[in-house]
Amino acid sequence: MTLFKPLLIICSLGLSGAVLAQDASVTISSPADGAKVSASMPTKVTYDVVPGPKGDHVHLYVDGGEATVLRQLKGTTTVDTLKAGPHSLCIKIVDKAHTPIGVEKCIKVTAG
Amino acid sequence: MDVQNLGYALTQVVHNLGAVSVTGGAAAARGLNLAEPQAAQRSLAALVLGGWVAQAASGVCFGAISYLGYGRLPDIHGIAVGALMLKVACAAAGFTVAALYLAREAGWSGPGRQRAWTAQLALALTALAAAAVLRWFS
Repeated sequence: MTLFKPLLIICSLGLSGAVLAQDASVTISSPADGAKVSASMPTKVTYDVVPGPKGDHVHLYVDGGEATVLRQLKGTTTVDTLKAGPHSLCIKIVDKAHTPIGVEKCIKVTAG
Repeated sequence: MDVQNLGYALTQVVHNLGAVSVTGGAAAARGLNLAEPQAAQRSLAALVLGGWVAQAASGVCFGAISYLGYGRLPDIHGIAVGALMLKVACAAAGFTVAALYLAREAGWSGPGRQRAWTAQLALALTALAAAAVLRWFS
């Protein structure tokens, strides 16, 4: 039981993370929200992330599913060819343990 | 100092010590001459059992820190999920083997005890390998 007391204390430290990273931000400069993208070739996503004190890196989601982990905070990444129709692309800032800190940018695109 | 990072770091300390205990304990016992007093092997079995408990408890603590901080668990997918499941399976199996060893080894033959330690070492090494995959594929 002596093992669990310190672990309980350690776990309680997580409460301090309840304050979101106020200085964090995500910008998706391309494609624009509502843009039409190709349904026959991969889509390039250009982004810029300020992780803030809580963030570490970002995850990219396509239609709610995690597509890739982005270690670079600024740049262009490629999303696999999207099927024709509407899709959502989201970039979420996560901490070192891969937990989203609540700062994200989502856009909608239509592949066609 | 970021208190949440401190929480992760301290949890990582416990997790790492657990990994050392299960791997080192199993390797040491596997290398013991069977003529060695069984008390030594029992001590190592207790160390390994504690190591698996530490691994499991600290693993849960990682998730708890994330949940308490942001209201959700770490977001992993694909290969990383498979690696995590493998780690959990190794911990469960390793705990079971160690507990069985402590409870019943008196009735086991020398080769039987060696097989238990071989299995224990294989589980520890598999968990270590899975941890590396989990770290870099998530």
